[in-house]
Order: sequence, then structure tokens, then C-alpha cells
Amino acid sequence: MKRYVLLAIALCFLAIYLFPLYWMYLTAFKPSSETFTYPPKFWPDDPQFNFAKVFVEKKMDTYLWNSLLIATGTTALAAFFGTGCAYALARVRNVWMDIVLFLILMMQVLPPSLMATPIFVLFNQIGLITTPRFAVVLAQTAKVLPLYIVLCRTSFMQIPKELEEAARVDGASRIAAFFRIIVPLARNGILVTSVLIFLQSFGEYVYSRTMISQEELQTATVGLMNFMGPNTTDWNGIMTYAVIYVTPIVLVFMLLQRKIVSGLTAGALK
Amino acid sequence: MSALLRSVRDGRGFDGVLALLALAYLFVFSAFPLIYNIAMSFQEVDMFSLASLIRPFVGLANYQTLFSNPDFWPIMWNTTVFVALCITFQLAIGFGLALFFQQDFVGASYLRGLFLAAWIIPALVAGAIWKWIFAGDFGVLNYLLISSGLINEKIFWLSTPALSLYSVVLANIWLGIPFNMILLSVGLAGIPKDMYEAAALDGAGAWKRFFYMTLPMMRSTIGAVLSLGIIFTLQQFDLFASLTQGGPANSSNVAQYWSWQLSFQNYDIATGSAVSVLMLGFVIVVAFLYVRSTRQEHQA
Repeated sequence: MKRYVLLAIALCFLAIYLFPLYWMYLTAFKPSSETFTYPPKFWPDDPQFNFAKVFVEKKMDTYLWNSLLIATGTTALAAFFGTGCAYALARVRNVWMDIVLFLILMMQVLPPSLMATPIFVLFNQIGLITTPRFAVVLAQTAKVLPLYIVLCRTSFMQIPKELEEAARVDGASRIAAFFRIIVPLARNGILVTSVLIFLQSFGEYVYSRTMISQEELQTATVGLMNFMGPNTTDWNGIMTYAVIYVTPIVLVFMLLQRKIVSGLTAGALK
Repeated sequence: MSALLRSVRDGRGFDGVLALLALAYLFVFSAFPLIYNIAMSFQEVDMFSLASLIRPFVGLANYQTLFSNPDFWPIMWNTTVFVALCITFQLAIGFGLALFFQQDFVGASYLRGLFLAAWIIPALVAGAIWKWIFAGDFGVLNYLLISSGLINEKIFWLSTPALSLYSVVLANIWLGIPFNMILLSVGLAGIPKDMYEAAALDGAGAWKRFFYMTLPMMRSTIGAVLSLGIIFTLQQFDLFASLTQGGPANSSNVAQYWSWQLSFQNYDIATGSAVSVLMLGFVIVVAFLYVRSTRQEHQA
């Protein structure tokens, strides 16, 4: 009996906590006449489906495409530079690797809004600003790479050393052993970490806002910001935009929830 | 030379190269901008000298301008209030929820994971949702507070200078709770169950067990969560951008948002980088303490 009471309380907590998300979905479905009524309604009487309209009017295809490009580029670059480093850090324990790990952990904490100033000036000088999306990918990779390394490292640490040694005895080179034995064994961890990095970069705002000036290269976050404007009243439209943007993220998260949670906790505390 | 090559291809050098590759990337795109930032804070940087490498050296002039700016101390105070309040409540609520979900019932760990749905959505979108919740005339928060009798008239959360900062604090606490809760849950799961059983047999009540067993056993986890909390709170930018943009009249501005505003809205890059240097210095000190404490534990 007690367990069902606990379950009920837990569901209450969750409902209260996730109320803002419910409010977003609800507002997206309400017609504007119902949005601006007082007292507000907690269920739409006359649900609207304005998704296609907002998607076209706000040019969400362009924005989402840019966000997708930046997130994909960042994830690819982080995986390219990070996977090997995570493996080396998991495999070798000596003073040098401790120093490397320490430096990487320190790089993890730099707030992007503070790094935006020097990175912008620097990229401006070497001309990277002329390819702004690429510039954002480079800056964002520097931000997420440490996290990628720390999270991947824990999954490399779980692979027994003997497996690699056996491959070496059979004549495989280090490179072959790495690509044929180690990476396939750690692919779950690599995949989950990549998804996490991808989702984070898909919502990137500071660097895009700072470095991208052309409207048609902007990301979905900046598009939402422009939509909101200083004196906005179109809350139906904004929440519809938010729903289109967020729903895929929430779905991916729900599918991988268990793995993301365990990967995250292992990395943050070890 | 060939020995070195062979070591890289097939020996110990292989690990070194892999580690150095990532480190080199981070050096170019994180550490170098960091150093460059310090240099810039001692230079005169404006729109004309932006593209040139050699700029006039002005010593501490940028810092003097910064400290004499009437907004400087209020904004620093706001930053302190923001960090302190966010961390206190995130930790307290997160700890409470972690303890609750530690109990044995159907779906406990699954439901706990669902809280992270709020953490995974872009902070800017969370800001948009909260802006709508906070809205003065038709916002649902005012409705809930009025109908429950807590307030008598509508509050304009985001445009009242005395409240704007606390509105952002509220939204940020909401964002930070799941992460705190999950990390604290991991710490709680690490405490051996039989310890509690033994203490219960000896007659220790729930409060006693919490204060004399749970809290001391959780010391290192709480330390880690606290320092990560400071680090993440100081990274919060998107909520300020979407909710108040530091206004009205800087009443909700914090250092990390102000630095960006100075550089990219006032085009006062020199002062922006001076603020940035101060804050980055602080963050690095916190990170240093955090990393050192977790490292030591690892060895012990």
C-alpha cells in the first residue's frame, strides 16, 4: 500500500515539475482567443494545428537546417578529436596523463558567454567569421570536447585490457586493435555521449548569436529569439515554434533516457 | 626519427599522439583565446583596431574604467545573489527529491529520469516558456498565485526592477534541479544499506540517521555538486537573454551577461574582456578546487 502512495506522490512531483512543458504544449494548441482569457484555460476547447503555418512563416526549415548542420559538425569534430584521447586517458595511468586529464577538466568550465569576446576577435582576425557556421562549430567543439572525453573515458575504462593484448599477440597493430577491437566494444558509450553532445549543440545560442550575422545562416535558437522580440504578444506562435523545435529533442531523450542518465552520472563524479 | 615514428604507429607513442591531438585542439580554441583575452584587457580595443594585431597598450586603464563604472558593483552583487540563491535552492530541492526517489516503489528510477527532460531542452526555449508563464496580464503564474490567495494583484515579474533578478533565479532553479537530483542520487546509492539497518536497530530515528549518517557520507558528493553548481550557474546566459536581457536598468544583469553586452552591444570590447578576465579567473579557481578534490578521492 505504502508503495502506491509513494508512486502517487512521485507522479504529483513530476506533474508539478513538468508543468511548464505542459503549458508550452497547451499554448501551442490553443487558439489565440483562448490564450488571452482570464482566468486561463487548462485544456484547449478548440485545439488548433498551426504547426505548418508557423513552420513556413518563420522559415523554420532554414533555422533548423542550420542548427542541424552545427550540431552535426560539432559532434563529428568532437568524436574525431575526443575518442582517441578518451581511450588514451583510460588506458595509460601516469603523471603525464594525469596532467592532460587535469587540463581537460579545467577547459570544461569556461563559460561560453565569457569566451565569446576573445574568440570573436580572434576569428575576426584570421577571417573565420566569413564562414560563420564553421566558426560556431569550431568554438562549440572546444566547449563540448572536454565533456565528450570525460564521458567516453568511463566507457573505455570498462573494457578489459586483456582483449587488446590478445589482439596484439595475434599480430594486430595498435591502430588496428584500436579500430577493430576497442572502438566497437565501446560503441554504446560513444553513441550515447555523441547523442548528448548533439542535443546540447542543437540548442546552442551564445556563439551563433555572436558570430553569425546573416539571417539565412542563423540557428533555431536565434530564430526563436528574433520571434520573441521586445514587445511580443504572439505567444501561440512562439509556443508552436518551441514545440516544433523541442519535441524531437524530448523524443530522443525519452528513448535513450536510461543510458543518458547513467552515462552522465558516471562521468560527472569520477 | 624512425624509432619515434614506429613508437607512434605501434607503441607507447600512439597513446601520446591521441591525447595530444585533443589537447592541441583545446589549446588552440580554448587556452589560447583565454590568454589572448588577458592581453586584450590591457589594450585599447575598438572597432578600428579590432582587425589589427598590434593595439595600443593601456595598462590597467580598462580595469579602472570598469571599477569606476557605477553599474559594476551592483552587477557583481547581482551575480553573487544569483549564484547563491540558485545553488541553495537547487541543492535543497534536488536533495529532497533524491531522498524521496531513493525509496523503493514501482518506477522510481524511471520517473526520476524524466525530470531530466527539462534539463535537455535548450535553455533558450525554457526561457521562452518561463517568459510566457511570468507574463503580467495573462501569465499563468499570476493566476495561480491570485486564485490561491497568495497575492492580491497581478505582479509584473520581469519588468519590476525589484523582482526581475528573482524571476530569472526561479527559472534557473527549475532548470538546475534535475541535474542536482541525479548526481545526489548517485551519492545516496553509494551508501551501504546495512549501515542504516544497524543504526535503526540501535534506535536512531530518521532525523538522526539523516544528520549523523547521510550528510557526513554525502560530504564529497555535495562538495562536487556545489562546485559544479557554481560553474554551471556562471555559465547561464540563455535565460538572461530570453527573459530580461539584464533589464530593466541592469536590475537583473549578471557578470557573464554584462560582459557579452559590453562587447557585442556597446562594442566596448576592451571592457567586456576585462569583465571576462575577472570572471574566468574566478571560475578557474573554483574548477581547480573541484578537480583537485575529486582527484584526491580517486586515489584514496
